[in-house]
Amino acid sequence: MADLPLRFEERPDNYDIVREGDRPNECCLIVEGFVCRYKILGNGQRQIFSFHIPGDLPDLQSLHLDVMDHSLATLSPSTVAFIPHSVMHDLMGRYPTIQTAFWRDTLVDAAVFREWLAGVGRRTAHQRIAHVICEVFLRAQAVGLVEEDGFAMPVTQAELGDSLGLSTVHVNRVLQDLRNQAMIQWRKQVIRVLDWRRLQSAGDFSPDYLHLKSMDTV
Amino acid sequence: MLELRPVRVATGEDSEGFLVFEGDALVAVVVRLSDQHEERAGAWYLEAAFGRLAVALNPVFDTLDEAETWIAGRLRY
Repeated sequence: MADLPLRFEERPDNYDIVREGDRPNECCLIVEGFVCRYKILGNGQRQIFSFHIPGDLPDLQSLHLDVMDHSLATLSPSTVAFIPHSVMHDLMGRYPTIQTAFWRDTLVDAAVFREWLAGVGRRTAHQRIAHVICEVFLRAQAVGLVEEDGFAMPVTQAELGDSLGLSTVHVNRVLQDLRNQAMIQWRKQVIRVLDWRRLQSAGDFSPDYLHLKSMDTV
Repeated sequence: MLELRPVRVATGEDSEGFLVFEGDALVAVVVRLSDQHEERAGAWYLEAAFGRLAVALNPVFDTLDEAETWIAGRLRY
């Protein structure tokens, strides 16, 4: 990676990295920070589709889909590395394992979307919130970003509501309840998981869709 | 013409609420946000809405009057 022509950029909080309708000629790698994919609906409301942490390539799809059908924005001050599409295509042509890894990444991406769809469509507010905390916890753990069961989740209650189809009022009630039940602690944008087993159960969470174990074989 | 009838709602701390009727039909339930909502404490949340009032994201109103005005406006559509 050190030899790649990466362009590192600092982006402030709530900054659009790529916008719906854009025709990007580069992909981005999240180096530091917290990023989401989202869309603004006709009624002005925002739906957040996914959260992204360091190590993610959240707009890999722009390699093959010319026009962005959603936007990508920071939720905290972030460092992003941009990689030209031409370099990505060249890499994939020369190294089939990289091509496979990128393909796999987009497949896991789709698996995560399916899980979120199941959540928004069929899970209760408690389950949705516990579920997304479990998800970000495991993904952060996979890239070494968990310390003493704590990880950065720099999202507001409104942003959490926008990702889960819930009002801020509902999000606040559920978070208070999860805290009162001693499942999590949430302080200064860091969540600490206090009872992993009960949190998974509260979120109807099974980590299979993240396909984390088989990462080692790629 | 709306009629508000006080009610306790089992939402935990946000229990002070009103059933909102249009004639003899229940159209909405609003609750007063408790101190757990910090800067929004004292505002009114559309806890439940029926029929034409149903929305994807239930709004919060600064005052009960604003909530009534919004409900009446939506019912006139």
